[in-house]
Amino acid sequence: MPTVKGDGMRGLAVFISDIRNCKSKEAEIKRINKELANIRSKFKGDKTLDGYQKKKYVCKLLFIFLLGHDIDFGHMEAVNLLSSNRYTEKQIGYLFISVLIGANNDLMKLVIQAIRNDLAGRNPIHITLALQCVANIGSREMAEGLSVDIPKLLVSGDTIDSVKQSAALTLLRLLRSSPDSIPMGEWMSRIIHLLNDQHMGVVTAAASLIENLVKKNPEEYKGCVSLAVSRLSRIVTSSYTDLQDYTYYFVPAPWLSVKLLRLLQNYPPPEDPAVKTRLSECLETILNKAQEPPKSKKVQHSNAKNAVLFEAINLIIHMDSDPNLLVRACNQLGQFLQHRETNLRYLALESMCLLATSEFSHEAVKKHQETVITALKTERDVSVRQRAVDLLYAMCDRTNAEEIVGEMLEYLESADYSIREEMVLKVAILAEKYAVDYTWYVDVILNLIRIAGDYVSEEVWYRVIQIVINRDDVQGYAAKTVFEALQAPACHENMVKVGGYILGEFGNLIAGDPRSGSAVQFQLLHSKYHLCSPATRGLLLSAYIKFINLFPEIKHIIQDVLRSDNNMRNADVELQQRSIEYLQLSSITTADVLATVLEEMPPFPERESSILAKLKKKKPSSVPEGSEQKETTASKIPAVQMSNNVDIAPPTSINLMSQGESSTDDFVDQGSPQGGSASVDLLGLGSPTQPTAPSVGSGGLLDMFDTLTSHSSAPATNGIDLGGLSGGAEEAFRKFICKNNGVLFENDLLQIGVKSEYREDLGRLWVFYGNKTTFQLNAFLVDVSTPGNLSETGLSIQQKPVGGEVEAGAQVKQQFNMACVQEFAEAPVMTIQFLYSGAQQKISLKLPVVLNKYITPAEMDANTFFTRWKALNSPSQECQQIIKATSPIDHEQVKAKLIGFSVSVLEKVDPNAENFVSAGILYTRNQQVGILLRLEPNKQAQMYRLTVRASRDKVAKILCDLMQTQL
Amino acid sequence: MIGGLFIYNHKGEVLISRVYRDDIGRNAVDAFRVNVIHARQQVRSPVTNIARTSFFHIKRSNIWLAAVTKQNVNAAMVFEFLHKMTDVMAAYFGKVTEENIKNNFVLIYEILDEILDFGYPQNTDTGILKTFITQQGVKSQSKEETSQITSQVTGQIGWRREGIKYRRNELFLDVLESVNLLMSPQGQVLSAHVAGRIVMKSYLSGMPECKFGINDKVLMESKGGKSGQDDTRGGGYVKNTSGLYSKPSSSTKTSIAIDDCQFHQCVKLSKFETEHSISFIPPDGEFELMRYRTTKDISLPFRTIPLVREVGRQKMEVKVVVKSNFKPSLLAQKVEVRIPTPLNTSGVQVICMKGKAKYKASENAIVWKIKRMGGMKECQLSAEIELLNTNDKRKWTRPPISMNFEVPFAPSGFKVRYLKVFEPKLNYSDHDVIKWVRYIGRSGLYETRC
Repeated sequence: MPTVKGDGMRGLAVFISDIRNCKSKEAEIKRINKELANIRSKFKGDKTLDGYQKKKYVCKLLFIFLLGHDIDFGHMEAVNLLSSNRYTEKQIGYLFISVLIGANNDLMKLVIQAIRNDLAGRNPIHITLALQCVANIGSREMAEGLSVDIPKLLVSGDTIDSVKQSAALTLLRLLRSSPDSIPMGEWMSRIIHLLNDQHMGVVTAAASLIENLVKKNPEEYKGCVSLAVSRLSRIVTSSYTDLQDYTYYFVPAPWLSVKLLRLLQNYPPPEDPAVKTRLSECLETILNKAQEPPKSKKVQHSNAKNAVLFEAINLIIHMDSDPNLLVRACNQLGQFLQHRETNLRYLALESMCLLATSEFSHEAVKKHQETVITALKTERDVSVRQRAVDLLYAMCDRTNAEEIVGEMLEYLESADYSIREEMVLKVAILAEKYAVDYTWYVDVILNLIRIAGDYVSEEVWYRVIQIVINRDDVQGYAAKTVFEALQAPACHENMVKVGGYILGEFGNLIAGDPRSGSAVQFQLLHSKYHLCSPATRGLLLSAYIKFINLFPEIKHIIQDVLRSDNNMRNADVELQQRSIEYLQLSSITTADVLATVLEEMPPFPERESSILAKLKKKKPSSVPEGSEQKETTASKIPAVQMSNNVDIAPPTSINLMSQGESSTDDFVDQGSPQGGSASVDLLGLGSPTQPTAPSVGSGGLLDMFDTLTSHSSAPATNGIDLGGLSGGAEEAFRKFICKNNGVLFENDLLQIGVKSEYREDLGRLWVFYGNKTTFQLNAFLVDVSTPGNLSETGLSIQQKPVGGEVEAGAQVKQQFNMACVQEFAEAPVMTIQFLYSGAQQKISLKLPVVLNKYITPAEMDANTFFTRWKALNSPSQECQQIIKATSPIDHEQVKAKLIGFSVSVLEKVDPNAENFVSAGILYTRNQQVGILLRLEPNKQAQMYRLTVRASRDKVAKILCDLMQTQL
Repeated sequence: MIGGLFIYNHKGEVLISRVYRDDIGRNAVDAFRVNVIHARQQVRSPVTNIARTSFFHIKRSNIWLAAVTKQNVNAAMVFEFLHKMTDVMAAYFGKVTEENIKNNFVLIYEILDEILDFGYPQNTDTGILKTFITQQGVKSQSKEETSQITSQVTGQIGWRREGIKYRRNELFLDVLESVNLLMSPQGQVLSAHVAGRIVMKSYLSGMPECKFGINDKVLMESKGGKSGQDDTRGGGYVKNTSGLYSKPSSSTKTSIAIDDCQFHQCVKLSKFETEHSISFIPPDGEFELMRYRTTKDISLPFRTIPLVREVGRQKMEVKVVVKSNFKPSLLAQKVEVRIPTPLNTSGVQVICMKGKAKYKASENAIVWKIKRMGGMKECQLSAEIELLNTNDKRKWTRPPISMNFEVPFAPSGFKVRYLKVFEPKLNYSDHDVIKWVRYIGRSGLYETRC
């Protein structure tokens, strides 16, 4: 048993040792039950307990709670302890409260009152205990209740240092947990003066608090800059012997220094010249100190020193105003680049990355290029290598681009798998950005595909094609290079894609050479054909059809290939269709038409490189923003020129990269005389209702390239009609009249599925929103409105809210409860709005809620049926329509439709077996409506005669209309 | 089949670990410890599946026995085996405790080798096992003896060896029943059943053939008007020397309906099927002849009438009346009534007319003990419970009042009608055998809601 002395609680010690000696869990529970009963009887007992006993029992309860048992009493006793004057009793009370009393306990008011009393008291120990408790719980209620007392402590003159320190940290905690419940008062102006406090501890605590406040409201606390600078300079210039307790391994107050430096990073460089000079001096002193020989060999010493140094460098970078300091910082980091310590090298690389973006130090950073490249190659730790890559990327400019890209390409072959993809992107961007000579660019990218084909994303090779097409001076070279690259026995699929595209467009430029004649080119491409995925094959097929245009002499070879079973009867629908269509196209049309259709691709409109966007998305922080803007403006100029030379875009073109599901629709369009300029959109992305005219020429490929950022392309690709209902939705809606579950709407971004069930006049409908993209859909909003005046009468809809976001690839469910109040004709309209990569998207759909859903089938015999049928004889109760059948009349099919329409199909009622007789009851909130229905098909005339009778006016008409759409 | 068998102490330390099959790795031992013994929540299912491995465990006081397998085995078989295993261990060294297991671990491994072969359970009969697994060290047996053991273990009657001789031929029959009951506060029986077993201790010479008669409805009816009565009456064999044992009661007034039963392997099932008679050659010593279950016409030995009144939030009054419901001549023993108290009980005052009652805080219950209680009697207890206000809003769930007791009759109405012994080869007859029969009815889960 532990030794107990004086104030110690013997009973508690005995209890704990009993628990520890328990052999089994059961024994422990028994012991605890016994103790709990004992405490209960003590608390219940008539005689009042003295403070010591209370403390002891509360302690026991606390111990039992910490063992994992529920404690449901004793809270009151704990709160009583708070009012004790003895330190130990108060301490236990506060401990119990911070562990056991939740933020929304009823006793919280009492606790806050007790805390307030303590805070108002004179005893600093009690005040600190109370502050500690507040900091531990930090609930909103506390923040509100004590928002006046704590700041008062902080700025009052007569509180002692340690209390001030606690108060500052407690206030910080409250600000973090409930920032808006602390009212700002006059204390705010005084708080910055805490930076001048005598006591270093108070200053350190206050610095954290002030930084938090500054982050929210920098203007308000502007005064702290000069105070912080002067404080900093006092620390920096002091010798390590000056600040007795706050010197850590010969570094004066490192934590405070770091905090002050951080604080200053929230503000632009000081305007007051005196302050500015003083700050510069400080920073210089810190840099100077780094050069001094270390005062201790201990690692803590260098750690503390370097922490201050790095924070100072961060500040220098943040201010970005003093070239001298920047260069010095850069040199200092250069020294660290060769330091033994891996962490230091990592940090140095990271900071240098920031330095490279500053115009003053960019050159200085470049001096270390060699070292960085060695680091890239020799560093053991992959995360350090990653930083080296980042730095190389950041320090790259027109002068050293070729070298850096070369080095990176070389390294890529042996690079770690985790950083390859990013490196590929970076190489691609650098090559594009700094390309003086586009032949070099083409070389680099093709090399990239050769070395790390797997990591080359779609965007990269899209981009190279974009550039080749836009610049006619490299087209010949590109064709030659890809031709050579394809000759390698094994090449990556991406290479085949690039090769197929470029040869298909510009193969003619190198056909003059007999070594790369048309037939040779074709054979070369076709040798890769069977090794590729269907998507690539589709692209190759398009390349072949382009060959037919370029080289009529090999037309028959290509036609043979297209005709082969392998293509014509391919299991893949897309390939099959392409083969057939291309074959037809090549055999039917005249050379002129062919030439027009298969015209060279028009140049692409210039836009921000999609690769860059991808990199940004991948690592938001890794691309220094500053350099980005600077460089993009620089590279914009040649880009604009690029597109000038091929400005006269031919009106028709076949887009090689068609990957859509169905191109038939578009071919139909092509066949129909659409003003002579037939647009062939093999893109196939558009929905059937998509207008073909404006978007194809420019929007087609561009959408594929830039689904990430494009605003303009969204309506074109997604077939979203901003005004009325979305394309294809009406048809889907019609399907739902006789069906309860299925897909209501689908485009490239979103799939909307519906599940529903109905019972009498109540219906429940679940809508599933499936995000098909790889990005989050933001600000997802669903609104349902009922058209016209039926909202008051027909259908009452309750909508469960749906969350604001739909994660990539995720599905979100929303439930609607709909009660049928009265008959209604129009289905409610659902409007879905969301932000897809910044662009607002809107989809309007009819919710598949129709009147017949609320019908319940009814069974009856012939007699009853006809009696009732005759009873409903007034003209308003009947509706008859003659409908022409859209499909051949099939008995079973019609029967299934009627059952789907949720009416019964009554056998042997009508003498003619071909005729259908149905009955049902429509449940609305107000009444039940009997429905009788007769359907007489006429097979010869392919007509139906539909008669609906209902016991309520209008219902028959609505149902008749609904049923009509189904036949 | 069983892949391995582990025995742990209460701390989860492995005492015995025997792996029979290769698909069970060493880590299985730890997996069970971590996921079951040391689990945060108490594991209530006796079967636990961890990473496609099934663990079947039982607990004997502080000892965990776990069988582990990767296959889809018959769980009932595994548990039967585990229980047999504890019986065997108990027969060898008494109570199954950590101390005893540690002291006998060599023996246990020896037994485990014998009763499980590549995970298939073998003969677990203690009598037989004791013939060749002894605690007295290795006794070099003669060739004949070993061959005898072999032939016997592999022979037709594996449970009895030849050449047993007793001066006094004697047999003891114990009918042990446990009554389970759940009763509503109004006295309505919600569920009741009796699980019984017949344990026989035989000290008979030679290879005797026994015939056993009980008052099961099916067996009696099949016998029809045959001289069943005769048989019992002829059994005036025994002097009633012991108070506990009585001679088979001559009146089998009614028959009972047995829901299901199972027999020791020595019972000839074919004869049971065809002739509806229980005949067998018993093993030597103690064994369980039969197990059965009945659910109809159970005479409940006790009736509990609870009365709970909540007086405000601070006080509660409980009154419990227990009535014994059997022949006044009989005496129930070890009667114990357990009345659960709310979790916020702060004090209890109990008054009872008979026995002793005490509030046991460690178990959150009032325990009322009555040493002896005659038939057709009535006892009452009243208690005043003081409660402490808590901030726990949940209402007390009022767990049922449970009872424990022991009565000298079979609550199911089970009767032994006769047990005849035939030994044609030796010169003793049925009359020479001294037979003792004893009935004990115990409480299983005997609860009344309040």
